[in-house]
Amino acid sequence: MPYEMKVDGMAEISDMLEKMAEQAQGVASQAVYVGAGIMAEEIRKGAEGIKTAPFKYAKEGTRLPSPEEKAIVVAAGAGIAKFDKNGTEVSTSVGYRASGYAELNGKKKPIPLIVNSINSGTSFMSKQPFVRKAARTGGTKAMAAMRDKIENAFEEMIKK
Amino acid sequence: MSQYQSLVAALKSLTQGEAPATVTLPMAENGWNTRPDTESYGIVSLDFEADAFWADDRKKDIVYEGSADLFSKSKNGAGWVQLITETLTAYCDGCWSLNSHTYERDTGLFHWEWTFEVTD
Repeated sequence: MPYEMKVDGMAEISDMLEKMAEQAQGVASQAVYVGAGIMAEEIRKGAEGIKTAPFKYAKEGTRLPSPEEKAIVVAAGAGIAKFDKNGTEVSTSVGYRASGYAELNGKKKPIPLIVNSINSGTSFMSKQPFVRKAARTGGTKAMAAMRDKIENAFEEMIKK
Repeated sequence: MSQYQSLVAALKSLTQGEAPATVTLPMAENGWNTRPDTESYGIVSLDFEADAFWADDRKKDIVYEGSADLFSKSKNGAGWVQLITETLTAYCDGCWSLNSHTYERDTGLFHWEWTFEVTD
Protein backbone atom coordinates (compact mmCIF):
# COMPACT_ATOMS: atom_id res chain seq x y z
CA MET A 1 0.00 0.00 0.00
CA PRO A 2 1.49 3.32 -1.01
CA TYR A 3 2.04 5.97 1.63
CA GLU A 4 0.81 9.38 0.83
CA MET A 5 3.34 12.14 1.49
CA LYS A 6 2.27 15.72 1.63
CA VAL A 7 3.95 18.96 2.49
CA ASP A 8 1.74 21.83 3.37
CA GLY A 9 2.45 25.41 4.46
CA MET A 10 5.32 26.03 2.07
CA ALA A 11 3.80 29.33 1.07
CA GLU A 12 4.23 30.57 4.66
CA ILE A 13 7.85 29.40 4.79
CA SER A 14 8.51 30.94 1.43
CA ASP A 15 7.06 34.26 2.63
CA MET A 16 9.15 34.06 5.78
CA LEU A 17 12.34 33.37 3.84
CA GLU A 18 11.55 36.25 1.52
CA LYS A 19 11.06 38.51 4.51
CA MET A 20 14.36 37.31 6.02
CA ALA A 21 16.19 38.01 2.77
CA GLU A 22 14.72 41.51 2.65
CA GLN A 23 15.82 42.23 6.20
CA ALA A 24 19.18 40.44 6.08
CA GLN A 25 21.22 43.56 5.43
CA GLY A 26 19.54 45.40 8.29
CA VAL A 27 20.18 42.50 10.66
CA ALA A 28 23.79 42.24 9.51
CA SER A 29 24.26 45.97 10.10
CA GLN A 30 22.86 45.69 13.61
CA ALA A 31 25.21 42.78 14.32
CA VAL A 32 28.24 44.62 12.97
CA TYR A 33 27.30 47.65 15.07
CA VAL A 34 27.18 45.51 18.21
CA GLY A 35 30.52 43.84 17.39
CA ALA A 36 32.22 47.11 16.56
CA GLY A 37 31.00 48.61 19.83
CA ILE A 38 32.59 45.75 21.78
CA MET A 39 35.87 46.17 19.91
CA ALA A 40 35.89 49.94 20.53
CA GLU A 41 35.29 49.36 24.24
CA GLU A 42 38.14 46.82 24.44
CA ILE A 43 40.48 49.29 22.75
CA ARG A 44 39.37 52.02 25.18
CA LYS A 45 40.18 49.74 28.13
CA GLY A 46 43.57 49.02 26.56
CA ALA A 47 44.29 52.73 26.14
CA GLU A 48 43.50 53.29 29.82
CA GLY A 49 46.28 50.83 30.66
CA ILE A 50 49.07 52.55 28.70
CA LYS A 51 52.12 53.04 30.93
CA THR A 52 53.53 56.56 30.90
CA ALA A 53 56.51 58.67 32.00
CA PRO A 54 57.31 62.38 31.63
CA PHE A 55 57.96 63.48 28.06
CA LYS A 56 61.45 63.82 26.62
CA TYR A 57 62.72 64.22 23.06
CA ALA A 58 64.19 61.34 21.05
CA LYS A 59 67.70 62.80 21.26
CA GLU A 60 67.48 62.69 25.07
CA GLY A 61 67.19 58.91 25.10
CA THR A 62 64.58 56.23 25.48
CA ARG A 63 61.21 56.90 27.02
CA LEU A 64 57.64 55.77 27.63
CA PRO A 65 54.63 57.57 26.18
CA SER A 66 53.97 60.81 28.06
CA PRO A 67 50.80 61.32 30.14
CA GLU A 68 49.76 63.94 27.53
CA GLU A 69 50.05 61.40 24.69
CA LYS A 70 48.01 58.89 26.65
CA ALA A 71 45.35 61.51 27.43
CA ILE A 72 45.04 62.33 23.72
CA VAL A 73 44.60 58.65 22.81
CA VAL A 74 42.08 58.01 25.59
CA ALA A 75 40.09 61.14 24.76
CA ALA A 76 40.06 60.38 21.03
CA GLY A 77 38.68 56.87 21.56
CA ALA A 78 38.51 54.30 18.81
CA GLY A 79 36.04 55.25 16.13
CA ILE A 80 33.76 53.06 14.02
CA ALA A 81 34.05 53.73 10.30
CA LYS A 82 31.10 54.14 7.94
CA PHE A 83 29.59 50.76 7.17
CA ASP A 84 30.42 49.23 3.82
CA LYS A 85 27.32 47.42 2.54
CA ASN A 86 27.27 45.07 -0.40
CA GLY A 87 24.13 42.94 -0.39
CA THR A 88 24.16 40.91 2.79
CA GLU A 89 27.87 41.62 3.31
CA VAL A 90 28.32 44.42 5.83
CA SER A 91 31.70 45.50 7.15
CA THR A 92 33.39 48.29 9.00
CA SER A 93 36.66 48.98 10.77
CA VAL A 94 37.37 50.11 14.31
CA GLY A 95 40.35 52.26 15.14
CA TYR A 96 41.87 55.71 15.08
CA ARG A 97 42.26 56.23 11.32
CA ALA A 98 39.97 59.26 11.20
CA SER A 99 40.77 60.64 14.65
CA GLY A 100 42.17 63.92 13.38
CA TYR A 101 44.86 65.99 15.03
CA ALA A 102 45.83 66.94 18.56
CA GLU A 103 48.13 69.57 20.00
CA LEU A 104 51.23 68.03 21.56
CA ASN A 105 54.18 70.08 22.86
CA GLY A 106 53.07 73.08 20.84
CA LYS A 107 52.70 71.14 17.58
CA LYS A 108 49.73 69.60 15.84
CA LYS A 109 50.19 65.87 15.45
CA PRO A 110 47.95 63.30 13.75
CA ILE A 111 46.35 61.13 16.43
CA PRO A 112 46.75 57.93 14.33
CA LEU A 113 50.52 58.54 14.37
CA ILE A 114 50.56 58.92 18.15
CA VAL A 115 48.57 55.68 18.47
CA ASN A 116 50.88 53.89 16.07
CA SER A 117 54.00 55.01 17.94
CA ILE A 118 52.58 53.59 21.18
CA ASN A 119 51.15 50.42 19.63
CA SER A 120 54.14 49.53 17.45
CA GLY A 121 56.88 51.37 19.36
CA THR A 122 59.65 53.50 17.94
CA SER A 123 63.43 53.43 18.14
CA PHE A 124 63.15 55.50 21.34
CA MET A 125 59.92 54.11 22.83
CA SER A 126 59.10 50.49 23.63
CA LYS A 127 55.88 49.19 22.13
CA GLN A 128 52.64 48.72 24.09
CA PRO A 129 50.43 46.87 21.59
CA PHE A 130 47.12 47.79 23.19
CA VAL A 131 45.15 47.83 19.91
CA ARG A 132 46.44 44.42 18.76
CA LYS A 133 45.77 43.00 22.22
CA ALA A 134 42.25 44.44 22.27
CA ALA A 135 41.57 42.96 18.84
CA ARG A 136 42.52 39.56 20.27
CA THR A 137 40.51 39.77 23.46
CA GLY A 138 37.58 41.61 21.92
CA GLY A 139 37.38 39.51 18.77
CA THR A 140 35.90 36.43 20.41
CA LYS A 141 33.42 38.47 22.46
CA ALA A 142 32.41 40.50 19.41
CA MET A 143 31.87 37.38 17.29
CA ALA A 144 29.66 35.78 19.97
CA ALA A 145 27.62 38.96 20.40
CA MET A 146 27.17 39.32 16.64
CA ARG A 147 26.04 35.72 16.31
CA ASP A 148 23.53 36.21 19.16
CA LYS A 149 22.21 39.37 17.56
CA ILE A 150 21.63 37.64 14.21
CA GLU A 151 20.04 34.55 15.77
CA ASN A 152 17.75 36.63 17.98
CA ALA A 153 16.68 38.85 15.10
CA PHE A 154 15.69 35.89 12.93
CA GLU A 155 13.98 34.13 15.84
CA GLU A 156 11.86 37.24 16.33
CA MET A 157 10.98 37.22 12.64
CA ILE A 158 9.91 33.59 12.79
CA LYS A 159 7.71 34.24 15.83
CA LYS A 160 5.86 37.10 14.09
CA MET B 1 58.74 28.23 23.79
CA SER B 2 60.59 26.09 21.33
CA GLN B 3 59.10 27.60 18.18
CA TYR B 4 59.83 31.08 19.46
CA GLN B 5 63.36 30.14 20.43
CA SER B 6 64.04 28.68 17.01
CA LEU B 7 62.59 31.76 15.37
CA VAL B 8 64.80 34.00 17.51
CA ALA B 9 67.79 31.83 16.69
CA ALA B 10 66.97 32.10 13.00
CA LEU B 11 66.58 35.85 13.17
CA LYS B 12 69.82 36.10 15.13
CA SER B 13 71.57 34.01 12.52
CA LEU B 14 70.86 36.84 10.10
CA THR B 15 73.84 38.56 11.70
CA GLN B 16 76.11 35.83 10.33
CA GLY B 17 76.56 33.75 7.25
CA GLU B 18 73.89 34.75 4.79
CA ALA B 19 73.74 38.37 5.90
CA PRO B 20 75.32 41.09 3.81
CA ALA B 21 79.00 40.95 4.81
CA THR B 22 79.45 44.57 5.77
CA VAL B 23 76.25 44.90 7.78
CA THR B 24 75.34 43.50 11.15
CA LEU B 25 71.89 43.30 12.61
CA PRO B 26 72.04 43.54 16.41
CA MET B 27 69.05 41.66 17.78
CA ALA B 28 67.42 41.99 21.19
CA GLU B 29 65.49 38.98 22.38
CA ASN B 30 62.12 39.42 24.10
CA GLY B 31 62.82 42.92 25.14
CA TRP B 32 63.78 46.28 23.94
CA ASN B 33 67.22 47.78 23.69
CA THR B 34 68.58 51.26 23.40
CA ARG B 35 69.45 52.50 19.92
CA PRO B 36 72.66 50.84 18.77
CA ASP B 37 74.87 53.06 16.66
CA THR B 38 74.42 51.03 13.48
CA GLU B 39 72.74 51.55 10.11
CA SER B 40 70.19 48.83 10.88
CA TYR B 41 69.11 46.87 13.92
CA GLY B 42 66.30 44.55 14.92
CA ILE B 43 64.20 43.56 17.87
CA VAL B 44 62.19 40.39 18.32
CA SER B 45 59.76 39.95 21.18
CA LEU B 46 56.73 38.10 22.46
CA ASP B 47 54.11 40.75 23.03
CA PHE B 48 51.28 38.88 24.76
CA GLU B 49 49.48 35.57 25.13
CA ALA B 50 46.98 35.47 22.29
CA ASP B 51 45.18 32.21 22.92
CA ALA B 52 45.42 28.91 24.76
CA PHE B 53 43.89 25.49 24.61
CA TRP B 54 42.66 24.19 27.97
CA ALA B 55 42.79 20.52 28.85
CA ASP B 56 42.66 18.74 32.21
CA ASP B 57 42.15 22.12 33.89
CA ARG B 58 45.49 23.30 32.59
CA LYS B 59 46.58 25.58 29.81
CA LYS B 60 48.11 23.75 26.90
CA ASP B 61 49.31 24.89 23.51
CA ILE B 62 49.61 28.54 24.42
CA VAL B 63 49.68 30.81 21.39
CA TYR B 64 51.73 33.98 21.66
CA GLU B 65 51.59 36.99 19.45
CA GLY B 66 55.03 38.38 18.90
CA SER B 67 56.71 40.93 16.74
CA ALA B 68 59.92 41.47 14.84
CA ASP B 69 61.04 45.04 14.28
CA LEU B 70 63.60 46.41 11.89
CA PHE B 71 64.98 49.92 12.23
CA SER B 72 67.12 51.08 9.36
CA LYS B 73 68.53 54.32 8.03
CA SER B 74 68.14 52.81 4.56
CA LYS B 75 64.81 53.37 2.80
CA ASN B 76 64.76 49.77 1.55
CA GLY B 77 66.05 48.29 4.81
CA ALA B 78 69.52 47.46 3.41
CA GLY B 79 68.39 43.99 2.36
CA TRP B 80 67.09 43.05 5.82
CA VAL B 81 63.43 43.27 4.88
CA GLN B 82 63.71 40.36 2.48
CA LEU B 83 65.86 38.30 4.86
CA ILE B 84 63.49 38.81 7.77
CA THR B 85 60.37 37.97 5.74
CA GLU B 86 62.07 34.86 4.35
CA THR B 87 63.00 33.78 7.87
CA LEU B 88 59.48 34.39 9.17
CA THR B 89 58.01 32.45 6.26
CA ALA B 90 60.33 29.52 6.95
CA TYR B 91 59.22 29.37 10.60
CA CYS B 92 55.57 30.23 10.46
CA ASP B 93 54.34 30.47 6.90
CA GLY B 94 50.97 32.20 6.81
CA CYS B 95 51.03 33.36 10.41
CA TRP B 96 52.84 36.65 10.09
CA SER B 97 52.07 39.98 8.53
CA LEU B 98 53.63 43.38 8.08
CA ASN B 99 51.73 45.40 10.67
CA SER B 100 53.35 48.77 10.30
CA HIS B 101 55.90 50.63 8.18
CA THR B 102 56.78 54.13 9.29
CA TYR B 103 59.48 56.77 9.09
CA GLU B 104 60.76 58.52 12.21
CA ARG B 105 61.56 62.11 11.38
CA ASP B 106 63.34 62.66 14.71
CA THR B 107 65.89 59.90 14.17
CA GLY B 108 65.85 59.42 10.38
CA LEU B 109 65.08 55.74 10.84
CA PHE B 110 62.63 53.65 8.82
CA HIS B 111 60.69 51.17 10.96
CA TRP B 112 59.11 47.89 9.85
CA GLU B 113 57.04 45.87 12.29
CA TRP B 114 56.00 42.32 11.50
CA THR B 115 53.66 40.46 13.84
CA PHE B 116 53.58 36.68 14.09
CA GLU B 117 51.95 33.90 16.08
CA VAL B 118 53.91 31.07 17.66
CA THR B 119 52.99 28.25 20.00
CA ASP B 120 55.06 27.26 22.99
